[in-house]
Amino acid sequence: MSLFRVLTLFFLTSLGYQAFSQEPVFISGEVLDVSNSEPLIGANVYWEGKIESGVVSDLNGKFQLPLIPLPARLVISYVGFERSVRQINKNEADKPIRFFLKPEEMSLDEIIIQERRPDEQVKNMEMGKATVPIETIKNIPALFGEVDLLRSLQLLPGVKSAGEGTTGIFVRGGSADQNLVQLDGAPVYNPSHFFGIFSVFNPDGLKSVDLYKGNMPASFGGRAASLIDVSLREGNNEQIHGEGGIGSISSRLTLDGPLFGKNSTFIVSARRTYADVFLKLSSDENLKNNKLNFHDLSGKLAFIVSEKDKISISSYQGSDFLGLDDEFGLGWTNWVTSANWSRVSSDKFFFDLQGYHSRYSYTVEFDDPENGFEWSNKLSESGLKAIWTALPNSKTQLNWGIHSQYYHFAPIDLEPAPNSAIQSIVTNPKNGLLNNLFFSANHEISSKLSVEGGLRWGLFNQVGKGVDYLYEGGVPGPEVEITDSLSFGTMESMQFYQGLEPRIAFRYLINDQFSVKTAYNRNFQYIQIASNSSAGLPIDRWILSGRYIEPVRSDQVSLGLFHNFNQNRWEFSIEGYYKDLDNVIDLRNGAQVLFTDQVETELLAGKGWAYGAEFLLRKNIGKTTGWLAYTWSRTWRKIEGVSRNEAYNPRFDRPNDVTLVLNHEFSPSWSAGLTFVYTTGQAVSYPVGSYEVDNQSVPLYSEYRNVDRFPNYHRMDASVTWKNSDKGRKWRGSWNFSIYNLYGRKNPFAYEFRTIFNDDINFDASSDGEITSAQPGVVMTYLFTFLPSITYNFQF
Amino acid sequence: MKRLAGILIAILSWSCQEEVILPLGEKEELVPTIEAFWTDQSIYNEVRITLSKDYYDSTEVQVISDAEVFITIPGTDKVIPFIFLGGINNYRAANPQEHAKVGETYQLHVKWKDNIYVSEGVMLEPPIVDSVTWSFEEERLFREEGYYIKVYGKIPFEENNNYRIRVIENDTLKNQREDYLLFDDTFGLKFFEEGLELGYAFEENDKVRLELFRLNKNAFDYLNQLVNLLFNDGGLFSPPPQNPDTNIKVVQGDPEVLGYFAVTPVLARTVLIQAKYD
Repeated sequence: MSLFRVLTLFFLTSLGYQAFSQEPVFISGEVLDVSNSEPLIGANVYWEGKIESGVVSDLNGKFQLPLIPLPARLVISYVGFERSVRQINKNEADKPIRFFLKPEEMSLDEIIIQERRPDEQVKNMEMGKATVPIETIKNIPALFGEVDLLRSLQLLPGVKSAGEGTTGIFVRGGSADQNLVQLDGAPVYNPSHFFGIFSVFNPDGLKSVDLYKGNMPASFGGRAASLIDVSLREGNNEQIHGEGGIGSISSRLTLDGPLFGKNSTFIVSARRTYADVFLKLSSDENLKNNKLNFHDLSGKLAFIVSEKDKISISSYQGSDFLGLDDEFGLGWTNWVTSANWSRVSSDKFFFDLQGYHSRYSYTVEFDDPENGFEWSNKLSESGLKAIWTALPNSKTQLNWGIHSQYYHFAPIDLEPAPNSAIQSIVTNPKNGLLNNLFFSANHEISSKLSVEGGLRWGLFNQVGKGVDYLYEGGVPGPEVEITDSLSFGTMESMQFYQGLEPRIAFRYLINDQFSVKTAYNRNFQYIQIASNSSAGLPIDRWILSGRYIEPVRSDQVSLGLFHNFNQNRWEFSIEGYYKDLDNVIDLRNGAQVLFTDQVETELLAGKGWAYGAEFLLRKNIGKTTGWLAYTWSRTWRKIEGVSRNEAYNPRFDRPNDVTLVLNHEFSPSWSAGLTFVYTTGQAVSYPVGSYEVDNQSVPLYSEYRNVDRFPNYHRMDASVTWKNSDKGRKWRGSWNFSIYNLYGRKNPFAYEFRTIFNDDINFDASSDGEITSAQPGVVMTYLFTFLPSITYNFQF
Repeated sequence: MKRLAGILIAILSWSCQEEVILPLGEKEELVPTIEAFWTDQSIYNEVRITLSKDYYDSTEVQVISDAEVFITIPGTDKVIPFIFLGGINNYRAANPQEHAKVGETYQLHVKWKDNIYVSEGVMLEPPIVDSVTWSFEEERLFREEGYYIKVYGKIPFEENNNYRIRVIENDTLKNQREDYLLFDDTFGLKFFEEGLELGYAFEENDKVRLELFRLNKNAFDYLNQLVNLLFNDGGLFSPPPQNPDTNIKVVQGDPEVLGYFAVTPVLARTVLIQAKYD
C-alpha cells in the first residue's frame, strides 16, 4: 500500500509539476526521520514561495526537483514533523542533499498519524478503511501487557470480537474466515497464538496496518469481509538500532540497521513466551509437567538495486506448542515468505512484482502404547502478483495487473504409532488455482467530484490431484449413498467458477472539510473454514470451493459523510452500509468434519446479510489523542436446516457497540492510556426447558437459534507509561503498567447449563463420592477480572 | 479438543466460575420425549414416554401413561402391542416373549392425544465378544490409577459399525457425559480385537456389568449429538447448542418430539473386579 499512498500524494500535489518537467537540471535528495533514519514517504519538497511546483518524496524518501536560479531556499515539510528550510547555493546544486526531519514538539511522535495527510479522510476516495498507526497500537492498554494488533483493530467501528480476550474479528457481518490477513502481501492462515488469545504480530517489527472493511481496491480480493494489510517495517540504513521489551507473558527483541552499506537494510524481530517457566513453578503436578509456549520470528531485507529499482524479501515464522506430560502434544506453525520488486520506470509509470508462499501446519501427537497416533495436516498458498501503475495526467491514475494463486490443502494424515490398535486415516488432497485479472482507474472529474472504478475478474479452478464423490440424487448428505467416485490427475480441472467483481466509488467534496462518499464492492471467496464455533481452533479445516461448495459472494454498498475540523486535528465520519452474502456455510447438527473425505455431506449453505451505521470521532494530534466510536449494526444468516429455515443472528451480532480510546501525555516522561468498551451481549441460545433421556436431565433448546443474549459487555482498561526522557542516552527504557478490566466486571465467557450435584459446581458425579442432591443449574465462566501487568520496553 | 482448550484457558486466565440464575424462556407446550428400545432380549424392551419441563423445575418428569404403543413389522400383519406398567412407569410388550430377530425391520408407533409418532429400525447382527479382562494400571494421561476393564472380540462387519457400551457399576448406570462409550469404524476396529479398554477406573470388589449395543446409524448419531450437547459449555469453542436429531417422525399433531428409538442386539457380561487376577 505504500506505493499506492505515494502515488495518491503524488497525484494530489503534482499540479504544476508538468511545467517544470521539461527543465533539464534537477536537484535531488533524500528525506529521513532523524530518530531512526527511515525514509519519509510523501514529504513535500518545494522552493520557498513556489509550493505549487513542489514534489513529494518517493518510496525511498528520495526526491528530484527542477532547479531554479540559485541561491534559493528549499523547504521540506511532512505532517507531524518540523518543517526544514535550507538555503541551497550554486555549488551545492549537483550534490544529493539529505534532510533529517524532527518530530514536531507539539505532538507525540508515538501518537500522531504519521502516514496520512491531515485532510486525507476527507479528500481521498477510500471508504470503510481504517488505519491505526503502530505507535498508537502500542499505547493502547493491553491484556497481559501484550500489545496486540488484532485486538486493537477490534476497537474500531464495524469490527467485533469473537469474545473476551480473543483476537478473532468479525467485520461488518462477515465471518472470521472472511478476513484476509496478510503480511507484506502474503496471507496468514492462522493469525493467532494460544488458541486466539494473542495475534501473531510482534508490534516492534511492524510498519503499518490498514483495515479495509469490504471496500477493497481491485488489486485485492479473495475474501468477502475485509482485508487486514500488515506491513513489516524496513531497517534503517544508518546504524544498528534495537528495541524490545520484557513482559509478564513474553519478551521480544528487534534489531535493524544497514546490511551492506547504505543501499541495503535488514530488520529481524523475535518474540517468545515463557508460560512454561511459570508452569514449572506450580505445585500442581498435573500442571508442572505441561508445556505451553509460542514464538515468532520475522525479518525483512531491503535492497535499493538502482535509482529505479528496489527489492525486499520478508519472512515470518511462528509456532505454538502445548504439551501434556510428555504424552500429548499439539503444535501449529505459520510460515510466510514474500519477495517484492518495485520499479519506478518513470515519474508516471510504476511496476510492482510480488511472489509469496504461505504455509500453515499443525501436528497432534498422542504417545500411548495402545492408541497412540500422530495426526498432521498442512495447507499452503503460493502466489504471484504483478501490478502496473500509470499516471497519464494529473487527474488520472490507472492500475492493472494479474494475481495468480495456487492453494494446496494437503490430505488429513493420521498415522498410528507402532503397535497402536487404531487405523490410519488419509483423505484426498484439495487444490485450487485462482487467476485474477484486475483493472482500476481513479479520475478527478472536477475539483469536487472524483470517481474510482475497478473490476476484478476471478477465474477459479479446483484442480487435481483429487477425488470427487457422486451421490444418489446428486445432493450430498450424511445418509445419502455414494454412487461413484471420480479421480483427477495432477492439475486436471475438477470444477470451474468465474466471477466479475466490480468496485466503484465516488467522492464529492462539499468543501475542504466536508466530503460525501459512496461505494459499491463485490467480492468472491473460494475458500472457507468448515466450523460453526465462534472462535477458531488450530485444527480447523479449510475447504475449497468445488463440485458441491460454491464460492461465497459478497456485495456491499456504503455511503459516508466525512468531516475534519479544527485545522484537521479532529476527524468525524459517519458510514452506513448494507452487505449481502450468498453461499455462506454452516455445519449440520453433530457434523464430523475433521477426518472425513466427504466433507460436503456435513455442510449446509445459505444466505446472509448485514447492515449498520458507524460513527467515529477521532483526534490525531496533540497531547491528548484517541477516538470515540459507536456502531449500530445487525447481522443475519438464513440457512436451510438451521433455525427452522428462518433468519437468525450469528453469535457476533451485537447491535450496539461503543469504544473509547484515549492517550494523554502528561510530560515527556509520563503518559497514560485508557480504553472503554461497551457492547450488546452475544447472541446465544438458552434452554427453554429440560427433558429426561438415558436417565438424566438434558437441556431443551428452542429450534430457533440464538434468540437470547448474554448480558451487555463492558470493560475499562488503563495503562501508565514512564519513559526516560533523556534523549541523549543511548539506552532508552520505559515502564508500562497496565490493568485489564479495571473495575473487575464479570463479563460472561460462557454459561453452562448442567446438573449441579451436592450444591457444589465443582462436584464431579463420576468420582467425587456420594451424590446427595442434584438440581438443574447455570454455571457462568468469566475471565480476566482486574488483571494487572507490567512491561519494560527499551530502545538502543 | 474441548478438554485441551479448557486446560489452556484455566492455565492462562485464572478463569472463575460461579452459579447464576438466568431468566429463561419456557415452552408453551411441553414436548413429549420417547425413549424406546427393541432388542433381542425381552428384559431390555421398553418404551418410556415423558414430558419436558421448565429448566429450573427439579421435580420428577411427568410420565405419559395413556399412550397407545405398538411395534409392527412392515410388510406383514404382525403387531406387537405394548402396555403401560405403573410400577416401572414404562410400556412393555404385552407378550414378554416377544423380541427382535436379526435382519427384521421394526416400526414403532406411538399415539398420544391427537399426535402420532413413528420410527423404524433394523435389527442388526451382534458382534462377537470373546472375553472381558481387567488389570491394575498406574496413573496415565487422562486416566487415573485403578482397575481397567478390557473387552476382546471381533467385529466382522463392513458396514453399520455403530456401537455403544453401557456400564453399570455396582447397580449404578454410568451415564455422566464423560461416561458415554460410543465408537464406530472411523479409526478402524482393530482395537476391539486387541482389547478395547474402557475409560473407567474401578476398585477392587466392584461388580461391573457391561452391555454392548450395535445401533442403527440414526440412533448412534442421536447419542453422539446428545454427548456433544452435554459437553457444550456455551463458550466460543462450542457450536451453537441444538437438540439431538431424533429418529422419530411426527406423522400427525404437534411437530415437536424428543428422544429416539433403538433397535439393537445386546451382549452383556458381568465381572467382579478382584485383585488376585494379576
